[in-house]
Amino acid sequence: MSSDVRFTDFKSDKQPTWCPGCGDFGTMNGMMKALANTGNDPDNTFVVAGIGCSGKIGTYMHSYALHGVHGRALPVGTGVKMARPDIEVMVAGGDGDGYSIGAGHFVHAVRRNVDMTYVVMDNRIYGLTKGQASPTSRSDFETSTTPEGPKQPPVNPLALAMASGASFIAQSFSSDAMRHAEIIEQAIEHDGFGFVNVFSPCVTFNDVDTYDYFRDSLVDLQEDEDHDPNDYEAAKKVILDSDKEYQGVMYQNENSVPYHEQHGVTEDMSEIPDGAPEDAMDLVREFY
Amino acid sequence: MAEDLNWAVGGEAGDGIDSTGKIFAQALSRAGRHVFTSKDFASRIRGGYTAYKIRTSVEQVQSVVDRLDILVALTQRTIDENLDELHEGSAIIYDGERSWEAEIPDEMTAVDVPLKTLAEEAGGAIMRNIVALGAACEITGFDVEYLDEALEKRFGGKGSKIVENNKAAARAGQEYVQENYDLDHLGYNIDTTDNDYVLLNGNEAIGMGAIAAGCRFYAGYPITPATSIMEYLTERIEDYGGHVVQAEDELSAINMSLGAARAGARSMTATSGAGIDLMTETFGLVATSETPLVIADVQRSGPSTGMPTKQEQGDLDMALYAGHGEVPRFVVAPTSITECFWKTVEAFNLAEKYQTPVFLVSDLAMSVTEQTFPPEVFDMDDVEIDRGKLVDEDEVDEWLDAQGHFRAHAVTEDGVSPRAIPGTTDAAHMSTGLEHDELGRRTEEEDERVHQVDKRYRKVETARNEEEWDYREFGNPDADNLVISWGSNEGALIEALDYLEADGIDVRVISVPYIFPRPDLTEEIEAADETIVVECNATGQFADVIEHDVLTRVKRINKYTGVRFKADELADDITDKLSEEVPA
Ligand SMILES: Cc1ncc(C[n+]2csc(CCOP(=O)(O)OP(=O)(O)O)c2C)c(N)n1
Ligand code: SF4
Repeated sequence: MSSDVRFTDFKSDKQPTWCPGCGDFGTMNGMMKALANTGNDPDNTFVVAGIGCSGKIGTYMHSYALHGVHGRALPVGTGVKMARPDIEVMVAGGDGDGYSIGAGHFVHAVRRNVDMTYVVMDNRIYGLTKGQASPTSRSDFETSTTPEGPKQPPVNPLALAMASGASFIAQSFSSDAMRHAEIIEQAIEHDGFGFVNVFSPCVTFNDVDTYDYFRDSLVDLQEDEDHDPNDYEAAKKVILDSDKEYQGVMYQNENSVPYHEQHGVTEDMSEIPDGAPEDAMDLVREFY
Repeated sequence: MAEDLNWAVGGEAGDGIDSTGKIFAQALSRAGRHVFTSKDFASRIRGGYTAYKIRTSVEQVQSVVDRLDILVALTQRTIDENLDELHEGSAIIYDGERSWEAEIPDEMTAVDVPLKTLAEEAGGAIMRNIVALGAACEITGFDVEYLDEALEKRFGGKGSKIVENNKAAARAGQEYVQENYDLDHLGYNIDTTDNDYVLLNGNEAIGMGAIAAGCRFYAGYPITPATSIMEYLTERIEDYGGHVVQAEDELSAINMSLGAARAGARSMTATSGAGIDLMTETFGLVATSETPLVIADVQRSGPSTGMPTKQEQGDLDMALYAGHGEVPRFVVAPTSITECFWKTVEAFNLAEKYQTPVFLVSDLAMSVTEQTFPPEVFDMDDVEIDRGKLVDEDEVDEWLDAQGHFRAHAVTEDGVSPRAIPGTTDAAHMSTGLEHDELGRRTEEEDERVHQVDKRYRKVETARNEEEWDYREFGNPDADNLVISWGSNEGALIEALDYLEADGIDVRVISVPYIFPRPDLTEEIEAADETIVVECNATGQFADVIEHDVLTRVKRINKYTGVRFKADELADDITDKLSEEVPA
């Protein structure tokens, strides 16, 4: 089936309820294109979504999917992949979902290096709950719950990933359709945890981190011939650079061995016999 | 009453108390004797009193009693803690060369053995507990060769030198007592049989049950007393194609298990009270997404961090009601170590047949108690696996709507929908914690909402009618006095019957392994003059649900000291309770 899968096969017939112009449309299109381009089809794909406007993505895509509780999408994806190494797993959510309530899971999913792709729709705001500060909001960004701004520096998700030992770190911009899809594709093809922070503007609640802002300020690493994603030091430099915002693959560990290969978790766990395993009596004998 | 012997070793945590006790228990089991162990331990790794107690008999033993015959005391505290269980015929083995001077009441037999010196002569001070075991063999007339077998099992992996040294240490202890004491008057005599028993605890039985039932994935976060389930599975599940993940917390553990279950694996997580609190949000998701998942709660004493190494049955309300909104679930509570095995197998079947969370509620007492059984009680040929309505490729068509969408939450008569796992052609669908229609798509439409809620609860109704929610029964079925219990109290109750019978008190015991759905005990309670519900909590959580079911008041025996019921104590409690007025 995979050879003739088109990206529209990943589209559900449910109409998105995102605000017109929401960055999440572009993010989703790129994900669907990347899935199709990498030879996947809806029957072998599992999308796990978080809670938030971003988390609705699972509803608008067509594949096996689970829309879970706030912040816990990564553990669900981890479980799916462990049970079924044959399935393509993609986890998607917002910056609040991933870096606030789910921050602990983020660190651990990264360090486990489970072979899945994690797409964070970073709009630097809580969209679904109508405009409160998120962990990536600027420190002076005024919102209903932070009238004078959060007064704390934002989380740098790329640095957090790097510090946690990420094997693939990238950033994209949802409205730069081609590049965004390409980057997601690279993340899917990466052997291990492919992390992509996607600038996915919220046109309703964030008037600072807008399309124009990203269009004007983003530096594409592809255009920087000196940037070699396999070079950890070079990656560190762009990731910690507080003057500029980048898109592209910041870092990729060529020697990445995904969790399931490291730990020999390669069997399809959904297949089990009709009764106890043949040698199950050995389990009892052990207690003699 | 069984002609039994009660033995204990006690000292400070870190003194190797647990392994010493386990070795002796194994030796007794090898000798065809029944064993029932219990542990006193504090929530710290070094320092703090800890003891391992063994009750042994040629007949089955399933409770602790208030008596200690042989005590290996590595500290004075060990003697002090157990003073009320020691009696005139008790022998206390201790090391007089140690820095403390043992204060042993005159009426007891002090057996001063230079444990450390003899151990050093045998190859190392670390073996002083083994010297004590040799001494214990001599006092009880127990053939030290059985101890050899247990030492081989324990240290075989470390090389023959270690094994030989340990055997020598045991001999040294035995000979020392032989040469320096004449203890025949104590009259201890350990009979042996030809039986081959297995010796295991409740958590091991749960782990074994999980593997037998085809569990392939387990994610958990360490917490006493559930951790040993994880440790058991970690060592073995890979041989059966499975995997264990130590998650970063319980939120992650349950969500990972859910992910694996969604992907088609039989999957489980286990924790204790506080961990259940953290998992609670996800119960609703498991139930609403109709994912089969087994969640074990090995209860310990709460609330908050309470008494983490102590017994309690205080989470029943949580198992029944935890979660916001209304969450259909099954609650199964094993009543013995064998039932820890069989109910785990059953929990996996219920989870898949009815596509909903199943709580497997156990408790600390059962989790740390080792008990002997004839191996046939774990006959793997009797394990049946029922995966419910798991559809394969050629069944998918039956469940597609006119547009070709898979009706993952089809509203069916029995409330159970077809289940398709990833990779099944044409059945791709969304699962969600949001209210949804038959296809899994979000809806807030009134009728759809009602259909789905009804459907989810209908499967509980179906299960109520189609499965057997029976109970276990002991004592005299026609007795006027009825005692009801759940969880690990069963063993103590069975043995309490002997004491009660000796006092001429006739009792019927009902031990209930199913908390939801549960057997209807109306008739049984109506037939009795008196009903007492026994449980290890302060408020009587099970008594509450029984009263709710039968609309009559029952009497309650509640123990919440952190220590499990003892058979003789429980017999006294029941006797006292029977003469009390029924609560208004
Ligand atoms: C436990 C819990 N707490 C709070 C919420 C409410 N909630 C829903 S979405 C959300 C924030 C979403 O923000 P983000 O992840 O950035 O996604 P966005 O909506 O911006 O795409 C919150 C706080 C919830 N659903 N669950
Ligand atoms: S509120 Fe913002 S994030 Fe949510 S749909 Fe609208 S634009 Fe998108």
